[in-house]
Amino acid sequence: MSKTNGEAVGVPQRRGLSLDGWAVLLAFALAALVRAGVFKHIPW
Amino acid sequence: MADAVALPQVKPVRPALQFLKLIPGVLLLAGVGYAGKLLEQNVGKFAKSHHWTFPNIEYVLWAILIGLAISNTVGIPQIFRAGVATYEFWLKAGIVLLGSRFLLGDVLKLGGASLALVVIEIAVAIGFMTLLGRVFRLKPKLTTLLAVGSAVCGVSAIIATKGAIDADDEDSSFAIAAILALGALALFTFPLIGHSLHLSDHAYGVWSGLAVDNTAEAAAAGALYSDTAGKLAVLTKTTRNALIGFVVLAYAIYWASRGQAQAVGNKAAFLWQKFPKFVLGFLLISLLATLTVFNKDQITALANLSRWAFLLTFAGVGLRTNFRELAKQGLRPFAVGAIGEIVIAVFTLGLVFGAQRIFHW
Repeated sequence: MSKTNGEAVGVPQRRGLSLDGWAVLLAFALAALVRAGVFKHIPW
Repeated sequence: MADAVALPQVKPVRPALQFLKLIPGVLLLAGVGYAGKLLEQNVGKFAKSHHWTFPNIEYVLWAILIGLAISNTVGIPQIFRAGVATYEFWLKAGIVLLGSRFLLGDVLKLGGASLALVVIEIAVAIGFMTLLGRVFRLKPKLTTLLAVGSAVCGVSAIIATKGAIDADDEDSSFAIAAILALGALALFTFPLIGHSLHLSDHAYGVWSGLAVDNTAEAAAAGALYSDTAGKLAVLTKTTRNALIGFVVLAYAIYWASRGQAQAVGNKAAFLWQKFPKFVLGFLLISLLATLTVFNKDQITALANLSRWAFLLTFAGVGLRTNFRELAKQGLRPFAVGAIGEIVIAVFTLGLVFGAQRIFHW
């Protein structure tokens, strides 16, 4: 169990998108393609 | 499958190579999911043509069962593992796309009712799991991880909390193993309980979203009951996920005050970092659907894309669950998790029955 003596730190800076960010981006890209009529019918 | 409980390791790999490494596993997810869909369509027909009595098994369960069979017999070869681990990515993309099936007013109405239940569930779950951890003399940080995992959102919450409270890798592995094992059990027990109690789709969906810890399992447990139950399970679980930052922040402050974790500098930045961004994506797509940005055919197309994304997720739930690996993690954390989950499931069932009377679900 590591002890850090209450040292204050900021939120670590990360480059690029998180997993959530990529998932949202993909979903919106697909929604835009459906809206633009590129994907007219998605079978299920 | 060792990575069922292992924590993610960050390795410096070139993005193009990293992307290529995902392809075999994603194809496996798609293959297992599609096989589940084909089995749903054809097994019933085959049984009927031969005059056999066979239960109608949904694609969700077929996909999970095929995944479990592969993972627990031949195992997942190394080449597929990175791609199989993307099942959470597909889950989140699927949830965002699912937003198109809700009008924003409905989200706020249903989400508001769910939020009240979620707050009660989180408070009771954290209190009870903390008490159980003390009774079973688990390490305090392991108890914290189990409490967060069962109260908020499973594996993601445990990983987020691990970093915030400087918990050991071993404790995180124990907590993740317990939550995953209990999630797998919930997949098979929740629909049976729901049917035996004649729960409505709405009530069952809210119950699954409240009581099943991992988002993938909550979505699967809901979808195993009905399409409507699946939608409501995801909505309720998403409401739970939205509160992750507050719970992790509270624990980070608590452990920092005891000198056993780093103090939190900027609390607003901490909350934003921990907030699941796919919740915002879900709300934004729902807003666009409410503003009739999409016509009826386009909404159907988006709903079907969401179903395909969930299909990959359900395949991943089966493929990443290896019972031998989970059993290796020891009995005590599992026992604490199991007792806690049973109590939380019964308690949330009572909450749902109460809400059913108030909201006429």
